[in-house]
Amino acid sequence: MYTLLWLQGLTCNGNTQSLLNAENPSFYTLFDKINLLYHPSISYDVDLFEIINQIKNDKLPLTFLVVEGSITSDKRFFSIGDYSIAQIIDALKEKADYIIAVGNCACFGNIPANFDKNSDVKGLQFRFKEKKGFLPSNFKSKKGYPVINISGCPIHPQWFVSTILNLLYKKPVYLDGFNRPKELYMYLTHDGCTRNEYFEWKVELEEFGHKEGCLFYNQGCRGPLTHSPCNKVLWNNTSSKTRAGMPCIGCTEFDFPLRENFFETKKNMGIPEEVPIGVSKRVYITITGVAKTLKNERVNKRLEETE
Amino acid sequence: MPEITKTVLNRVEGEITLKLIWENDVIKDAFIIAPNFRGFEFILEGKPPLDALVITPRICGICGHAHLMASTFALEQIYKSAGYKLEISEKARLIRNITLACEIIQNHIRWFYIFVYPDFLSLENKVSLKDFEPIKGKKWRKAVDFSSKIVKIISIFGGQWPHTSYSLPGGVMCEPTNMEIVSAVGIVDEVLRYFEEDIIGMNIEDYLQITSLREFINKSSGDLATFIKLSKKFHLHKTGRAYNRFISVADFDTLFCSGITSRKKRLFDIKKVKEVDTYSYLLKDKSFSFDKKKYSWSKAVRYEGLPYETGPLARQINSENQLFLNLNKKLRDSYLVRIWARVDEIGKLLVFVKNCLKKINIKEPSYIKPVKDIKELEGEGYGLVEAARGSLIHRVSVKEGKIKDYNIITPSVWNLGPRCRKYLSPAEKAIIGQKSELTAHMILRSFDVCSVCTTH
Ligand code: SF4
Repeated sequence: MYTLLWLQGLTCNGNTQSLLNAENPSFYTLFDKINLLYHPSISYDVDLFEIINQIKNDKLPLTFLVVEGSITSDKRFFSIGDYSIAQIIDALKEKADYIIAVGNCACFGNIPANFDKNSDVKGLQFRFKEKKGFLPSNFKSKKGYPVINISGCPIHPQWFVSTILNLLYKKPVYLDGFNRPKELYMYLTHDGCTRNEYFEWKVELEEFGHKEGCLFYNQGCRGPLTHSPCNKVLWNNTSSKTRAGMPCIGCTEFDFPLRENFFETKKNMGIPEEVPIGVSKRVYITITGVAKTLKNERVNKRLEETE
Repeated sequence: MPEITKTVLNRVEGEITLKLIWENDVIKDAFIIAPNFRGFEFILEGKPPLDALVITPRICGICGHAHLMASTFALEQIYKSAGYKLEISEKARLIRNITLACEIIQNHIRWFYIFVYPDFLSLENKVSLKDFEPIKGKKWRKAVDFSSKIVKIISIFGGQWPHTSYSLPGGVMCEPTNMEIVSAVGIVDEVLRYFEEDIIGMNIEDYLQITSLREFINKSSGDLATFIKLSKKFHLHKTGRAYNRFISVADFDTLFCSGITSRKKRLFDIKKVKEVDTYSYLLKDKSFSFDKKKYSWSKAVRYEGLPYETGPLARQINSENQLFLNLNKKLRDSYLVRIWARVDEIGKLLVFVKNCLKKINIKEPSYIKPVKDIKELEGEGYGLVEAARGSLIHRVSVKEGKIKDYNIITPSVWNLGPRCRKYLSPAEKAIIGQKSELTAHMILRSFDVCSVCTTH
């Protein structure tokens, strides 16, 4: 029997809401194969503490321990009944085959870790960039994985569903430097954006509200600097922020809430201060110069007016 | 000796603890404890003003879009109060209304099936309600599917749901094509058909003519009618009453009106809204107190010193909707009436969204750049929005290019905040007198509890 227990720390519940949107397969079809022990938004006749006790006493196996939200051991700021979320995770950490952090709060601490009146807010195994999360840096769950981080604020439902299925079907899950499944986070948000043509030819979006133009130059788009398949696995199976016209804010990366001015590109003498991952500034400037001197008639017209 | 029970309530947005004081098997007092605090108002301080558009939606995973709109409006008001003209195209206004309405539709469908219906599985025999069983039940699954379908419209305009920040002072960031707009109309039609077939069990035109409970259950066999019959069976049509006083802080286009209704309807005046911190860990001056009598991270909020209920029922009453005026006259603000008002909104909002979609003129600009960068302005602005759970108020003040102060009063603060010296909150009041813990929980859920918004 496979089982899944879902816990929430300091969170907005956005990952749960996002997961309910999953299609092909739906979130609920996962539970044809897995017994959902408890989810705070879904369960109706189970007692969380009874479940925890059974797991602790090896009366119930725990395949997946899923955590949404940042961790704090300060009960004044977060408690479930008489316990802190830290105490509950502590009680279960040795029992789970896999521990999965969903969303940037559980992965890195995220926005709640920016609240300076409670300095004890972290992710499960990271606090922002550093491996100074709630669990030790060398922690491994029973099956030998560190906490598997599915980052994003919120996560795309398919990222979670695919990771769980991958583990269920006993395929290895390769992880990147932030312990995120590599097959998901090896893409950049930029990959597959409908504005790629404008990026290639360095045609900037002058102002919000247009289909044409790339948001990298003025609106602060983090697409070429952010690891996510947002433009490969579309949101709500429909679109993505950058396709719609909103800059990528880099919400799958540890530093998401540490950055400011999300809708502006920091520039130095007209050149974006941060250039796409994989290219040096020199290369970027050269290619920009070349692209700008060559003419592509299509990208300077409204899409409706192109040939 | 009175007996005390304390339960962590699940199947709400986030978790809430309910402390009940019993005397002779009757609930004599109820404390709604919101035990978790993330500090959004603190985190926003000192940030560039437009960053609020990214941060505030993350207060809540189910109604984040309403926070985005509240931030947008609050920032836009800063332009206006500084004497600058700020233009918004009709197209941008329509698109904002559409996406906000779609989030509310999503919320109400999910809440009715995921949070409300399962309570009856514990009350009624499970066999007859097996379609409503979480995860497995056909109807439970259908509700998840259709609530996920409607937010595809937010994705068309905003790129994703939850947590897009596609609206900003001056308009919206998208430029939809006609084909995208009509595919959104197609989505509305599908969800509307589901609403008609499954939820109300009749077509929407006939439903909107209904003016009484009897008339509806005679004509319908949908899930709403089943719910009404179950509620009556367990006497929930006459319990769960709060103060019968209603507040809505903003008009929802022409669909719902703002207002204050106690005995008579009056106009809403923001100056009469006051926060009270007597029983809250968080004090008005932004310090903390863990004094013994304190029990919630939420402050209380009062209008002219009195507690008011907000939400769909308040919107219906303040909009003088005939069905709900009639229901309210007979049953007051009971469990049944409160929940019906939420479900009722799904249909009205779907029709509204469809009309808005048809009105969009794609030739108009999506965004009209404000004359000045907001960082050059100083002042204070309010953003008033009717969200899924009711009245949401953001107040922002900007100085020297930064957010100086940000204050948020969510709908759940109105309904589920703690007491003040004189009055319990509406939800606390509604629970008193109950004889079972389960019905106490059900009544609390009828307010559509969102603990993450309550404290933020
Ligand atoms: S808008 Fe962003 S994601 Fe899209 S092409 Fe430009 S840089 Fe890449």
